[in-house]
Amino acid sequence: MAKGMFVDTTICTGCKACQVACKQWNGLSAEPAHFGKRSGVPYPVADNFTGDSYDNTGTLSATDWRHVRFIEQIDESRREKRWLFSSDSCKHCSDAGCLNACPTKAIVRTDLGNVVVQQETCIGCKFCIPSCPYGVISFSEETGTAHKCTLCNDRIHNGLGTACAKACPTGSIRFGELADLKKRADARLAQLKGKGEQARIYGYEEADGLKVFYLFADRPKVYGQPEDPVVPQRRLVLCSLVTILTAIGVGAAALVNFRERLNGKDEEESNES
Amino acid sequence: MSPEIIQPPEWAWYYIAVYFFVAGTSAGAYFIGAMEELFGSGGEREVSRAACYIAFPLLVLVPIPLIADLGRPERFWHLFIYNQGGYPYLNLVSPMSVGSWVLLIFSACALLSFLDNLVADRVISFPLFSRYYNRIPRRLYAVLGSLAGFFIAGYTGVLLNVTARPFWAATSPLMGALFIVSGASTGAAAISLYLIWRRRNSGGEVERLEAFDRVVMVSELVLIALLLVLAGRTALPLMTLPFVAMFWLGTVALGIVVPLWFKYRSRRHPFGDAPVLAHYLCILAGGLLLRISLLQAGQL
Repeated sequence: MAKGMFVDTTICTGCKACQVACKQWNGLSAEPAHFGKRSGVPYPVADNFTGDSYDNTGTLSATDWRHVRFIEQIDESRREKRWLFSSDSCKHCSDAGCLNACPTKAIVRTDLGNVVVQQETCIGCKFCIPSCPYGVISFSEETGTAHKCTLCNDRIHNGLGTACAKACPTGSIRFGELADLKKRADARLAQLKGKGEQARIYGYEEADGLKVFYLFADRPKVYGQPEDPVVPQRRLVLCSLVTILTAIGVGAAALVNFRERLNGKDEEESNES
Repeated sequence: MSPEIIQPPEWAWYYIAVYFFVAGTSAGAYFIGAMEELFGSGGEREVSRAACYIAFPLLVLVPIPLIADLGRPERFWHLFIYNQGGYPYLNLVSPMSVGSWVLLIFSACALLSFLDNLVADRVISFPLFSRYYNRIPRRLYAVLGSLAGFFIAGYTGVLLNVTARPFWAATSPLMGALFIVSGASTGAAAISLYLIWRRRNSGGEVERLEAFDRVVMVSELVLIALLLVLAGRTALPLMTLPFVAMFWLGTVALGIVVPLWFKYRSRRHPFGDAPVLAHYLCILAGGLLLRISLLQAGQL
């Protein structure tokens, strides 16, 4: 049965336990771009803090498979303020752009519905990277291959939940059967709406349904998610048709020019004779 | 916020854009040669011969940048064989997968045409096969190679269009069309340069090629205009400095408009050899700069 995660951002406290648990379970190193050598210091020095609220990594990357986003909303008069948190990761799309783009079958879907990169097959062509409408999958210079969240493939195939969900102290990240998670999400949405709060589910419709879906208290854009994500391969048929038509056009232009001139020449020659 | 989260692939322009250009030129040249072969008078064979001598040697260069840009170059064969199953793999919704296979087909056809011309020109000979020489299905692989060539010229544009990067996504579905037209134009220029080099750049064949090229270049301008309209705000990088020089000055002005003006004008007032040579070189440079601009504008 399809497994997934439901992230209720309204009860996230921004503790980043999920980020830490993810790094530990998956053995991910610290973000290489965030550390530099400084002369006289024998160890790498962290020199790239984002300066954006409590955000320490900025984006998802080949070594950051989870990213907690901090959104500070303060109105003009500085009276009303709100601090939103959202723990982001791969959404394991039901129609996955990265999987569609992969030319080597390195990216596959397992029987539990999660999308994984097979490191021993990936050739590092980087085509999956711009093909993800959420900017999730990333290239690692270190391994020369693409990396992303696996939905803890090893854990979930051995009856455990994902490391991030296990570590989450507030139950903001829940792992389980998709059907159960949807029930929970709908109930929570109804509860919030009943209290007159703004809330929406992100991930029921997008890319044929996201296996990791969210409850947001504001527009998806505020949380750094695309409002209308499009699986890029949905444009393939139209693009191919237009390209084929152009090829036919160029072929026709060649035919007309190469033949017409030829015929014209024949006529001239026959006139002369 | 949202468009920026889509990561660029960071394909190196000196590998990938150069590949787009070399493969497009090779494919364009091969197709023109095949059209001459199939529909020309048969009396003159200079254009189709030049095409065959251009297409294959250019294709030999193609694997170098393609493999060099991979994160794991030694695994390039995974494009054809699924390494964990040992069986051939083709992903029909991935232009890169289909393109890799078609590149093989196109290379085979280009090699056959190349060898064929070498035999016809008595550069090499296969005494064992001479008996079967007239039974070779030349038209078959000329047609197959042309179709594969069109694919190779166009799929690179489709490949860019089916990503989520804002500029490449917004220019859908025209990138493939533009790359095909540009490939035909640079292919024709490459053939003309070859003919100048061999001192065979005269006669009805060359005139027909020029007439074809004029049509192609006008449609290239129209396609670029349409593409920019589609791109809208995502084309703003093209207004910044390196692109103003590369795209507007290099591709549009010196690569298309000036050579086109030159072609129309030289019909009535023939120019000397040097300007003719220069305008073909301009077309080729324009084609290369077009690929670099469109690749890099999508990766900023």
